[in-house]
Formats: sequence, structure tokens, C-alpha cells
Amino acid sequence: MSSGRSRFPGPDRFEYLQALVTEFQDTDSPDAKEQVLANLANFSYDPGNMEDLRRLQVTELFLDMLTEESENLVEFGMGGLCNLSADRACRDQILRSDGVALVTGCLSSRREETVLSAVGTLMNLSERVTDPAVLQCVLRFSLSSSVRLRNLARVFLQDRCAPAQVERAERELQGRTQTALGIPLPQDQPGDASLATGAEQSKAAGSV
Amino acid sequence: MAASDDSSSWNTLEVHKHHEQRTVCHTRPKYREGRRPKAVKVYTINLESRFLLVQGVPAIGLMAELVQLFALYGAIEEYRVLDEYPAEEFTEVYLIKFQKLQSARVAKRNLDERSFYGGLLHVCYAPENETVEDTRQKLQERKRFVARIMRNKARERDQTEVEKSKMPNGPEMAMCEKKEWKVTSQKEEESLSTSYFLSYPLLPPPPQEDVYRPSSFSEQTSPSSSSSSVLKGYQCKMQPAEDNMGSTYHFVDTGNEPLPSKVLKSPSHGNPAIINKQRKICHPTTRFIPRTTQLENRKRKMEEVCQDTLLGIADTSETLIGPRLPQQPKMDMEDASLNITANLIRNTMAKISSVPECKPAEKKATTPKPRRRI
Repeated sequence: MSSGRSRFPGPDRFEYLQALVTEFQDTDSPDAKEQVLANLANFSYDPGNMEDLRRLQVTELFLDMLTEESENLVEFGMGGLCNLSADRACRDQILRSDGVALVTGCLSSRREETVLSAVGTLMNLSERVTDPAVLQCVLRFSLSSSVRLRNLARVFLQDRCAPAQVERAERELQGRTQTALGIPLPQDQPGDASLATGAEQSKAAGSV
Repeated sequence: MAASDDSSSWNTLEVHKHHEQRTVCHTRPKYREGRRPKAVKVYTINLESRFLLVQGVPAIGLMAELVQLFALYGAIEEYRVLDEYPAEEFTEVYLIKFQKLQSARVAKRNLDERSFYGGLLHVCYAPENETVEDTRQKLQERKRFVARIMRNKARERDQTEVEKSKMPNGPEMAMCEKKEWKVTSQKEEESLSTSYFLSYPLLPPPPQEDVYRPSSFSEQTSPSSSSSSVLKGYQCKMQPAEDNMGSTYHFVDTGNEPLPSKVLKSPSHGNPAIINKQRKICHPTTRFIPRTTQLENRKRKMEEVCQDTLLGIADTSETLIGPRLPQQPKMDMEDASLNITANLIRNTMAKISSVPECKPAEKKATTPKPRRRI
């Protein structure tokens, strides 16, 4: 499944990844930052790299990206987390760093790719999702016009949620007690990223 | 968010953002550049799919060719042309569903940006064609795969750690093992070096006085074949197992034999026994044979010669020490009819004794063909 033969086997690979992380932290160029982040996120797909990336604390690096202004950085960081969270050790590291709240915030992203990665990551992070806000949000996704989001949301509801909870979320959705989670903010709204982090706490009725 | 109907996966023909080809990134530093120019993009399992969308196929009825090309990478479950999908002029868009995600992945990597009947293919994943079940399977497979790899890695690590922990406990043992390993490796090196040595054409052995050597003939005609045949003789000796298989034996002879037998047939045709004798003798010159074996062979030959003289079919080319008789001694039966019968018997014996030796010679004439290189 991975990229097959690795170009940098053994210690060389670790050093290469380390060099990438160092460049990411040191560089001033936003282009280079994006490229290196994308590289790291794609490297995360290969199980052969997961251990090295965990040792380099790349999970922290990705989580940091979720609160960035640049949508590209958020998307790539979220993609990296989606890839890495498939591994149990990486998953535990993300959980220890309170990743769930940060990832949940990304459900409100305007970018479909980011939202998909966030849903995928949440599925990897926990076997049972009980947060009613997340449940409602995913329930809304399951009615989305986007087939990919709809399919993923349905798998999420069927495999990760108790049926009783889904029913309650459905009732809530029809009633007035909705959450704003997962509803992207309008384009002109400033401070989108900072709001997104605390989105799951905002229980206010959706005004969109 | 608008609710939507449950449309079949094959009906969705919207143009998705991930179908677009992103602009290639040219600002990468050298050391981060891959083999092919690529855009900055992150792939996750959500983006991958067994469904591939193929754009840029010239609209000249290439369905069969396209499917054949993609089938090289794995079994295709379904495929169809997307007539409604917005395509460039004179091109078609195809949707291909592989049986396995891995096939789709390899196919995409290899066929994206490939020129195809004058068009440039753009291949991308089309996960929006998946059903809920497809998506679930894909995610589960991914999770299982990662778990398996990590388990294997952990096992490997454990094994190496166990070996490491053993080392300080018994350093002498480790030393012994190391020594043994060194010895075996040396042996391996030796055998390697010999085989390495053998892989070069060896010089023909120095000429021997009293033995007929066909290699001198063949050397005149084709020096390379003779030297290689000599080499093969050595290899054959080194690997008796292959000899038993029969392949190497013929293998050896093919290069060596036809030439001398051709040369020899002219002076002494009609008497295959002579040729056989000569072949038998020529072997010791081309192969390395230990001294004891040579002695044994000589003894056996002497006995054979004795038998043959009794039967009256002694070899004329065999070097004999001492004065040569003008004619081979034949037992006189003191009766004309008896003598005729004895002659008949002698001739048949000569024929019979030559038959089993003759067979490989016949084979040799046929076997060289498949070995010939194009």
C-alpha cells in the first residue's frame, strides 16, 4: 500500500525526515512551508515512516497547523493527521495532546478536503463518538450533496455512533437545539480560524 | 446544507475540484524534488479510490485499447465512457473501477500524464462514485493494513532487541558465532571467487603428447567456442548435480563435440568406434581430473583395449607402445565358414558396443539449436 521501496531506508530516512521538520521550523518562505508540510503529510501515509514521524513529534506539528490562517496549511496538517492517526501509537499521541478539540474545529472548514480529513481523523481517534455536537454535525454531513462527505458521514454514523444517540441527534436537528458546528462561516468573516477552534462549544442556534 | 436524494453512484457527473489538475510546483529546492514534477497536494485515504477518472482519451473509439492498458495493473470490475462529463474537444472521459485499491493506485501513478494515441491522459481518483459500502471497505482495509505493518515492524524490533540483549550476556558465545560466521563467510568468499574465476573463459590446458586433442582443431575454426567449451567442461566437473540432470552434460558436449566429429569423420568414416574412442580420450584434456581418477581410467582403458583386441575391434588411433602388428590379430577358427561367422559376430559386437556411445553424438547434432541466441 505504501510507496513501495523507500528511497531513504533506515537511519537515512529518519535523518531526511528530521531535515524536513527542521526546514519547516526554520524557513521564512510560506511556499517552502507549504511544500514541506505537504511532504510530511504524504510521508505520513506510509506506515514505514509513522514511527519516525512520531519520534519527531510531527503529530504536534500537524496539530499546530490546524489553527493557522492559511487554509492550505490547515488542509495539509489535517491530511497529515488523517494519515498518521491510522496508527495506534500516533493516535495515542494525538489524544494526549488534546487533538480531538482541534480536529473537531476543522469540521467547520470551508474546504471539503479538510472536513473529510477531520471526519476521518475523528473516526480513527475513537471507537465511540458521544459528543452530541459532533454527532449532529456528522448527521448534517450525511445529508450533504457531496457524495464523498455523505458516504464518509454515513459510515461514521453507522460504525462509530450508538443508534440511540443518532436518533436523539436527529430529533435535535429537527428541533431548535442545533449547534453551529460544521457549518462553514461566511467568506468575509474575519478570524475564522480562532472561531473554528472553539466551535464545538458554541451551542448557539445556527444562524446560517 | 442541502439534503440530497440517493442517486446511484454511477450517475454523478459533476466536475469535482479534485479532478482538476493542479499547477505543478516549480519553487521546490533540488533536494526535495521528486522524480517527476508534481503539484503540492496531500493524499489521504479519503481521496483515494478504486474508481479512476481518465480524461483526455482521444475520441476515436479507443475503449478496448484503454481498458487493455489499464487492465495491466489489475482486474477491472467496471468501466464506461462518461458522455455527459465535460471534456475537451475530440476527447472522451472514462470511468474505470478496479477490483482493488492497490491496482488503481499503481495504475494512476503509472498512467497519469501518459501519452495515449496522441492524447495526454489525465488520471485521477474518483471517490465520489463510491457507495457507502465501498467507502467503509476502503477505510477498514487501510486500518488493517497499517496495523499489520506496524505489528510486523514491532516484531522485527523485538527480535533485534532480543539479539542485542543476548550479546552482553554471552560475549564469548557471540565471539564464537562471529568467528564461525567469519569462517563460513570466508568459505563463501572462496567459492564465490572460484565461481567468479570460472566465469571468465579459461585458457585451454597445456597440450599433452600422447592424447588426441580436438580443441586444437576447433581453436582454428572458432577460438571463442573452444575456450567456452573448455570452460563449460570445468563447470560441469564442479557441479556434478547438474550432470545428473543431464542438462549440463549435453550442454558441455554441444560446444565441443560436433566440431571434432566432423573433422574426424572424413578420415575414418564407417567406423564409429574410432570416433567414440577419440571422444573418450579427448575428455581428460578438457576437464580437470584428479590423478587417482586418471590412473583408474588408464587402468580401465587398458582392460578395455585388451577386450577389444580379443574381439578384434581394437582402436587404430589408440597409442600403443611397442611394435605395431601389420594387422589386428584375429583368432583363426581354422574353418572358412567358422571364420565368416566369427567375423559376423565381431562386426555385430563392434556395432553394439558403439551404439550407446553413439546416441549422445546424435543428440548433440540436434541440441545446439535451442541454445542458439537470437
